[in-house]
Amino acid sequence: MLLGDKGKYLGIVSGIALASLLMIQQPSILFTMLSQTYSLITDISLPDIWVMDPQVNSTEDSRPLMDTAVYRVRGVQGVEWAVPLHKGSQTVRLADGELAGAMILGLDDATLIGGPGQVLSGTLGDLRLPDAVIVDENSAMSRLARHVRGQPPVPLKVGDTLEINEKRATVVGIARATPTFRSDPIIYTTYSKAKNFNTSDRKMVTFILAKAKPGEDPALVAKRISKATDLLALTAAQFKQRCLDFLFQHTGMLINFGFVVVVGFVVGTAVTGQIFYNFTLDNLRYFGVFKAMGTSNRTLLGMILLQALMVGVLGYGIGAGLSALFALSTHSGENIKLELGLPLLCGSGVAVLLIVLFAAVISARKVLKLEPAVVFKS
Amino acid sequence: MNASAPNMAGHIPAPVVVCHGLTKSYGSGEARTLALRGINLTVNPGELLMLVGPSGCGKTTLISVIAGILDQDDGVCELFGRDIAKMSPRERVLFRGKNIGFVFQAFNLVPTLTVAENVAIPLMINGIKRRDALARALWQLEQVGLGDRGNDLPTQFSGGQQQRVAIARALVHDPRLVVCDEPTSALDHKTGIRVIEMLKSLAVSDNRALIVVTHDQRIFSYADRIAQMDDGVIQATEENHHETRQG
Repeated sequence: MLLGDKGKYLGIVSGIALASLLMIQQPSILFTMLSQTYSLITDISLPDIWVMDPQVNSTEDSRPLMDTAVYRVRGVQGVEWAVPLHKGSQTVRLADGELAGAMILGLDDATLIGGPGQVLSGTLGDLRLPDAVIVDENSAMSRLARHVRGQPPVPLKVGDTLEINEKRATVVGIARATPTFRSDPIIYTTYSKAKNFNTSDRKMVTFILAKAKPGEDPALVAKRISKATDLLALTAAQFKQRCLDFLFQHTGMLINFGFVVVVGFVVGTAVTGQIFYNFTLDNLRYFGVFKAMGTSNRTLLGMILLQALMVGVLGYGIGAGLSALFALSTHSGENIKLELGLPLLCGSGVAVLLIVLFAAVISARKVLKLEPAVVFKS
Repeated sequence: MNASAPNMAGHIPAPVVVCHGLTKSYGSGEARTLALRGINLTVNPGELLMLVGPSGCGKTTLISVIAGILDQDDGVCELFGRDIAKMSPRERVLFRGKNIGFVFQAFNLVPTLTVAENVAIPLMINGIKRRDALARALWQLEQVGLGDRGNDLPTQFSGGQQQRVAIARALVHDPRLVVCDEPTSALDHKTGIRVIEMLKSLAVSDNRALIVVTHDQRIFSYADRIAQMDDGVIQATEENHHETRQG
């Protein structure tokens, strides 16, 4: 019956589609941004333990340690190895004279631990060459690319040169890296060359990356490190959680995105419920006819539920499809790349199910209470 | 046909409807209105009974009680020998779906379904498969002269045609009682006469009775019996002798 009333049918489908879009797209932006807050930890997967200044709350924090801290960590029982990692920000001058801010990661000279997982051109070992840097793929094609007015940008490639803090740097590789929260270009180099690029800071170790010996519990080893060094030592999972906690406590992200999701749910429920209820009122006479002719309440309930589920599935499909298209469109850009995970799709699907069930229930109450004698009123 | 006449086997058939002392009121306290005040009525198979009377006299309430869609306050109403008030709600719904056909003043055809689908509704309610129900519905539409229009929507039909579809819907599951509420009052004279003639010829049979609520005097002559109602009681019941109509 609902299909016959095109206005109401489209209204309900549109309402559910809009609600689905908001309930899928907004959390996907939030989750992607959240995952980017600890993208450094995700990308550097080799160490079990991250050691840092106790005041550090996220990977974006930079509170350098003395070089000697590395040796103290290495001396803790249960530590297999420990290496320094420098993380800093520098201004990069491109070949065309443009300036760009970039995150510099200085890797341990001997082991290159902390380097990118996937080097697309060149090799990680080339970082040992003079002035060598590896640049992340996204930035090479966008922020660090050479821009000529009226022409598409020319991507940075192996052999090109940059200036970091007025020091020459030669690109020896292009690597794949997860964008950071601030979406700055990521430039990998060795720890010693990072010192050379950064002449102003005396202390250069931002994090100490450590590995627990085989058979040792990384969480226990981290506790031992904290106790022995007065530094903060966390497992990778603990550090990720600390980043998230800090973000939730010091930004309104959760509230802002959560508010939009709640608005989507409430508006979806209100619009769908109202239109579906009006549809039921408009067709009450026919429900009465069905009742008079011997249709059971159970069958009528089934009819209402079926129609509600039908518009729910269609609206959700459209909303999820639009969200997927939006997410897909972000993959061609240089910044945030949205992902729609199965839990998110399932969660929003359940929310849509609740919306249509609510709409069906308020309508069903009216129909189930309906006296079939209403059919004789002209 | 005379309602109480013996059938071909010589037996006097059991009545379709027997109402005794039916009362029904609406509202409560000072606002309480008595719609039926002790109705006694018998309707026999093969009979077309017309309930006539002024608006608000209780005609519609009476057929609602007889059709089992409204509960009486007091009295007994038996359909085919069964007291519907004593049935469980579910039993009553099933009983109604199987044994009663309805024709309404406003046709009440579902506008989003084709006429064949509308006619098939009572069959599907009774558990007949859609395909079989539609085939039977098309046959029934042929009986009312609309066999070639099964796939059309009701909105494409005139009022008279819609009422013919409604008649087909009321008869398709072969009910033993057909209840019609003002079936001709929304139609012009000529169409109204055609509709009541169709009802008379198709609906009235040896094992089926027809109750028509009407205040349309143009069709009174088609009744076998007329029950005159006023103020919640049946004032008079008179046999109708209409040899010319019956042929």
